[in-house]
Amino acid sequence: MSINIRCATTDDLLNIQHCNLQCLPENYQMKYYLYHALSWPQLSYVAEDEKGRIVGYVLAKMEEDCEDNPHGHITSLAVKRSHRRLGIAQKLMNQASRAMVECFGAKYVSLHVRRSNRAALNLYTSSLQFEVSEVEPKYYADGEDAYAMKRDLSSFYLEKNATKEKTNKDGNTHIHTGRCCDRS
Amino acid sequence: MPSSNPLPPKENALFKRILRCYEHKQYKNGIKFAKQILSNPKFSEHGETLAMKGLTLNCLGRKEEAYDHVRRGLRNDLQSHVCWHVYGLLQRSDKKYDEAIKCYRNALKWDKDNIQILRDLSLLQIQMRDLEGYKDTRYQLFMLRPTQRASWIGFAISYHLLKDYETALKILDTFRNSPMICYDYEHSELLLYQNMVIQESGECEQALKHLDKYSDQICDKITVKETYGKLRLQLKQYAEAAQVYKELLNINPENTTYYARLAEAERHTKPEETLAMLQRYEDLFPRALAPRRLQLNYAIGDEFKILVDRYLRRGLHKGVPPLFVNLRSLYNDQQKVDTVQSLVLEYKEALKAHGHFSDQEKDNPREPASALLWTYYYLAQHYDHLGLTEKALNEIDAAIEHTPTLIELFVTKGRIYKHAGNVQEAYKWLDEAQGLDTADRYINSKCAKYMLRANLIKEAEETCGKFTREGVLAMENLNEMQCMWIQTEAANAYKRLGKYGEALKKCHEVDRHFSEIIEDQFDFHTYCMRKMTLRSYVGLLRLEDVLRAHPFYFKAAKCAVEVYLRLHDEPLPDPTQAQEIDTELVARGS
Repeated sequence: MSINIRCATTDDLLNIQHCNLQCLPENYQMKYYLYHALSWPQLSYVAEDEKGRIVGYVLAKMEEDCEDNPHGHITSLAVKRSHRRLGIAQKLMNQASRAMVECFGAKYVSLHVRRSNRAALNLYTSSLQFEVSEVEPKYYADGEDAYAMKRDLSSFYLEKNATKEKTNKDGNTHIHTGRCCDRS
Repeated sequence: MPSSNPLPPKENALFKRILRCYEHKQYKNGIKFAKQILSNPKFSEHGETLAMKGLTLNCLGRKEEAYDHVRRGLRNDLQSHVCWHVYGLLQRSDKKYDEAIKCYRNALKWDKDNIQILRDLSLLQIQMRDLEGYKDTRYQLFMLRPTQRASWIGFAISYHLLKDYETALKILDTFRNSPMICYDYEHSELLLYQNMVIQESGECEQALKHLDKYSDQICDKITVKETYGKLRLQLKQYAEAAQVYKELLNINPENTTYYARLAEAERHTKPEETLAMLQRYEDLFPRALAPRRLQLNYAIGDEFKILVDRYLRRGLHKGVPPLFVNLRSLYNDQQKVDTVQSLVLEYKEALKAHGHFSDQEKDNPREPASALLWTYYYLAQHYDHLGLTEKALNEIDAAIEHTPTLIELFVTKGRIYKHAGNVQEAYKWLDEAQGLDTADRYINSKCAKYMLRANLIKEAEETCGKFTREGVLAMENLNEMQCMWIQTEAANAYKRLGKYGEALKKCHEVDRHFSEIIEDQFDFHTYCMRKMTLRSYVGLLRLEDVLRAHPFYFKAAKCAVEVYLRLHDEPLPDPTQAQEIDTELVARGS
């Protein structure tokens, strides 16, 4: 088998937590993972290897405070060093972003990244069209600054509408125009 | 029912303030008001006031006084639902759920329609999986508050969990047609939950009809399609199923399950058919990894050789470190192993001689110098996997000589030693790797793990400390973050060192994480009904039911069992080791 990229379920959470603890300095208790999975079950994705081990994940949420300008937020993204350079992070992010648009009408997605994390910065800016929106001084527990970044998601709306048209033409009936998806 | 000892208006007003303070977590003020009532000799033994004072004291961490007050209050007013409710809440906070349920039931004897008590009772019942009791309580809540959404949802879920699908669906149908639902996402989730209940009732066709009818009101398109695909396969509607999986693959061409389902829907009988399908997808999504990689599973003989040759060259040219990890699952097929080995050995010779993957390409531009490095790296892992330690070491040394700064090489060298059983040498190489990139926690974690395998617990703690919160002991912080792998590795190291008390302490820490995660459910019983994420909620309940089946628990439990058996067979006789036993008892008692 190859790497499988799919939406995360509650059954994945312990393994996501494990992957997070191995890879990143920012860790969370299980309850926080549960909170994500039980609030926005569509938004988090995992990459698993042929033995079902999680080799990468994106933990994502919606910001709840702004109903007129809905947007998503990436709480945590990690790919094990042993599985880098396969493009997994990018694929995880794109699936999560698509789901944010589809299910919650997100206009953009935001995240924080360490100022020193050049590899991540490079991924976000060059592969995922994120832009730095501001610097948040001493955002991290160890005193490091964070870049707050944003990615506009309007291209996902275009893509969604294009798929819709294409399928309509082909006469396939299973892409639908849910009310919640037409806020764009 | 009113208390058997009602307070006059002034004191009653004070009592209400105690309740308000409790709700708003102003515990100190609450105590003050309680004292004001109790200082009046006429009311110094007032049951409900004593109980509330006790409950408030409990929130301030004064548990013993809390129990004293609550029990005294209850004795003074056995017919007060407040006293019983409070006693229940106190027991609940102490995780004595069975006792708490008894108290709530007593409280309800005196005030059978008290919504708050019924809600609290229902939470404990679902937490304890008293499904029959839960159903009864949800029924009462439903009858008392039929205009509240949660009443309907809880009522429906209680029947679903008891596998009375028909009643559950009836409730959901009626609820959906009521004006209580407005927000689209919630409606969408409710529809998906309803569909889940229909599916679990075994009525595939009904589920399909339901989906047909409502799919345009569901915003979670992935779940709609995945459900369609699953149902159509179950109903043997293969052409339609194939169409759905094609649509899903258009959205996510990296989902390997979709390819398998599509092959099933297309009724493949020979691997060649699946191979051809995957080739079509490779053309359609040239950047996708899955269709290219999956082909290698289905191809054999010469075809496999052509495909894997292309796959390997691409990876070695580009420098994809996980190339071997990605191909490893092919290694249960000896023929494929032989093919890969002869190809990679050929690359090595050709790259060394003239910088190309084969002699036939001498006129082409040369491969980047790193191609040889990645070839050595691949071969090292290849030989290591086959148990050929010496060959593996030769290749990894050649790689390190080629590029002495690549961390992956040191990690691999360490792993080769680990596989060969040399834990000391293994950890040294990981330590080397860790020193080259101190900002990478993955390497740091691996290094700590290898240290623990070499029984170097202190060193491992120090290493981990580079990534834990400052000012806190590394192990404490890791425990707080429920870092089970390190606790289990440490437990095993302690066990090997004969420090059984310490080993058990670590095992019990892991056990406590699992208890905590079971506790974590509590808040979600109410939260999910509000959020309407009921599929995930039921998923959570089912996960928690078997939580300790997780391998992390198994590993820690195995270690603990081994230690306990060992202590049983050979008890520690020496009084100088009494300290060890103490720590063990602490671990066991907590």
